[in-house]
Amino acid sequence: MESSDSDNFESADEDFEFEKFEKGSNTTKHHHPVPKSDTAKAAILIPKAPPSTDVNQNKKETSESETLTPEIVNSDKSKSEGSLIKDDEGNKQYQTKAVPQLEVAAKDTVKHDVEIEACDNSRGSNVTGDAQDPDDDSENLWNEGEGWGVDDESDNTAIPNVQGKEKMEASPKTAPIEEDAWSNEGWEIWESDSKEIMIPNPAKTDNQSNLDPKWKGWSNWGVSSILSTATQSVSTLTSSVSQGLSTVASTIESSIGAPEPAELALSNRAEKKSLPAEITSSDHNNKNSMGFGLSNIGSLVSGVSKLVESTSTKVISGGLDTLETIGKKTMEVIQEGDPGLKKKRAFLNLEGEKPVLSQVLREAKEKAEQENKARQEKHFAKKVNYESIFDDHQGLVHLEALEMLSKQCDMKLQLLFESSSGDALMEIQETLAQVKELCELPNEEDEEQLSLEELKERLASAVKELDVNITYDRLISMWEETECWLNNVNLSICDENELHQQAVETLAQLTAIAVEQFHKAGELLLIKDHHSTADEADSLVQLTTTLTSLIGIAASKFSDKMNCKAVGDSNKESVNSLITNIFYEAANSSSYIQDAFQLLVPVIEMGAV
Amino acid sequence: MSAGPYNYSYIFKYIIIGDMGVGKSCLLHQFTEKKFMADCPHTIGVEFGTRIIEVSGQKIKLQIWDTAGQERFRAVTRSYYRGAAGALMVYDITRRSTYNHLSSWLTDTRNLTNPSTVIFLIGNKCDLDAQRDVTYEEASKFAEENGLMFVEASAKTGDNVEEAFLETAKKIYQSIQDGRLDLNAAESGVQHKPSQPGRNNLSNDQQGNKDNCAC
Repeated sequence: MESSDSDNFESADEDFEFEKFEKGSNTTKHHHPVPKSDTAKAAILIPKAPPSTDVNQNKKETSESETLTPEIVNSDKSKSEGSLIKDDEGNKQYQTKAVPQLEVAAKDTVKHDVEIEACDNSRGSNVTGDAQDPDDDSENLWNEGEGWGVDDESDNTAIPNVQGKEKMEASPKTAPIEEDAWSNEGWEIWESDSKEIMIPNPAKTDNQSNLDPKWKGWSNWGVSSILSTATQSVSTLTSSVSQGLSTVASTIESSIGAPEPAELALSNRAEKKSLPAEITSSDHNNKNSMGFGLSNIGSLVSGVSKLVESTSTKVISGGLDTLETIGKKTMEVIQEGDPGLKKKRAFLNLEGEKPVLSQVLREAKEKAEQENKARQEKHFAKKVNYESIFDDHQGLVHLEALEMLSKQCDMKLQLLFESSSGDALMEIQETLAQVKELCELPNEEDEEQLSLEELKERLASAVKELDVNITYDRLISMWEETECWLNNVNLSICDENELHQQAVETLAQLTAIAVEQFHKAGELLLIKDHHSTADEADSLVQLTTTLTSLIGIAASKFSDKMNCKAVGDSNKESVNSLITNIFYEAANSSSYIQDAFQLLVPVIEMGAV
Repeated sequence: MSAGPYNYSYIFKYIIIGDMGVGKSCLLHQFTEKKFMADCPHTIGVEFGTRIIEVSGQKIKLQIWDTAGQERFRAVTRSYYRGAAGALMVYDITRRSTYNHLSSWLTDTRNLTNPSTVIFLIGNKCDLDAQRDVTYEEASKFAEENGLMFVEASAKTGDNVEEAFLETAKKIYQSIQDGRLDLNAAESGVQHKPSQPGRNNLSNDQQGNKDNCAC
């Protein structure tokens, strides 16, 4: 919070407005707060979009704003919430994306608006200063406005008057927008802004309607020079805005229309002439003690200023509309041929983060194949290649499919994040955090020697807990065969290269089956109706640790045999390097299995949310 | 183990899609094993098959993704279209409903693959002509309207099965030759292996050894 002073002040003001609104609430409803909600939206969204805004963060902030709103605006709850929710669902996405690029343009537009006024009148520079100074608190703005009122009495031209009033009333609105856009200070600022933006509206609406009958009378005043000057000033304003963004001009013209500002100036002047003295006091009232005894004059002032204010609001919101249009267009271009930005999002969020394992493996495999070709040409014995065997057993393609599945889940979760807010979002985040916790693999376990029976039992219980139709029968029978082969292998016939080849094949096959079953588990989990996330996570952790220990066991059994071979062998060095290679491939196998498990985490998360 | 299976210059990714029970897995089995699988279990998610074929003297490895036809797997199988160079869209000529659903399968394919993906329509079970529910002309017209290649085949007898897979590969290969298919694009569904024996052997060798030693 940048100043507690302004805070206190605003809450006092808010109380007043609230009270006033209660009184007048049954008088009128026809002056709807559309421009206001636009401004509110702008004040919320523009500052929230620094160029590198993270979508998640944005989301969080928006939700924060929603929780804030009801506390601040009680009577106006439905309206303000409505507008917030609307822009949350409808516009948030493109606004957050589009605004960073357009921020500069936005600044330009608003600045122009302000600068023109500065040229037109002497006091303007002060007001401008207020509007631009992010550190200025609202009280000062009000005081400035008050000063204006006094000055106006001696001032005979209508334009400064109009602009003065406009500035005075509008500055609480314009200033926060600029403030935030420039200082980018975050939510504290917005919090105070929101009070000003949303609350005064109903009260003023009320006054506005009280005022209406009088307008006809004033129109007979017929001060044509004022009228034309006013028109001129409005058109200057218009053109200055259009300098930045040409579309704004038409937006303003269509939304304001020429007669309205003229009339506005007229009435404003009339009011000043007839009630020179009261204005100051009523202005003062406006600021501090408006809660009691609102005279007709007071309502005149605020009624007129309301008009001016709405004009300036329209100018601003017109500019914002244009920004919106540009933002939408930008988004359209970005989204072309990519609805929901799925691909681009996936590209930015996911592909950037982790290397694609199946791709890495494929490259490794290809390199090894080339190498083999070369060896063959040199009449070397073909060297067994882990990746090729892994691919032969469809391990690679299952891994690739699992990656696609995982990515899809990640994207869906991302979309879910973006489409939810408030408590729902909190809940999702909590759930996901819990899932992540459940899916933490235990640190390197001690090398435990699993017997075949233990292996079967563990895998069976894990699969049962997972409650999907996968089976490790193929893995078990394969391991059975391998153990059998190992027990019966005749070391006098089988040379170390053959042993090594068998070891690598076994490791690659075991891993391929493990990955395949993980992939199947992922597919089946996604179509499962009822989820017990804790069981699923627990089961998959169990499977992962069991399978990696099996890999460890396989590697050590083979290397034991190799060691037997090395004893008394003159070729000890080459045997040792083969043993090293077996452990290297075993480590690879374990990490592939663990990576496959990690790919399942988003799948489990999908089931949990 | 010979080096034979690895002696190919391209990998094409195919995806087989279509309603449940139209014979997708049987077509694949017939193509890879040259056998008819009489009672084929329901596919879970996706299964894979590979075969190396030859097109214009080039060895090409077909990596075929055989998807589950069951509706409950639809969301899962949608994840797998990406990067397919060829899509075999299968219906059963004896069951009109499987033909009627083609537009939905086609929409998915168009949305989830890239424009250069070759889509081949297969009317399976053409051996059961007596029970025919969809005429050849009708399906042929549908294929023409949508720019698809089309053939009626039988996974049971093997009629036209080979042709469907090979024609698709030829079309893809043609696209590569024409430059319509960008090999470098991540989602082209084609991987090229510019292996030229006798070149860079030494460096590859050294690298390979290094990789194996460094843990």
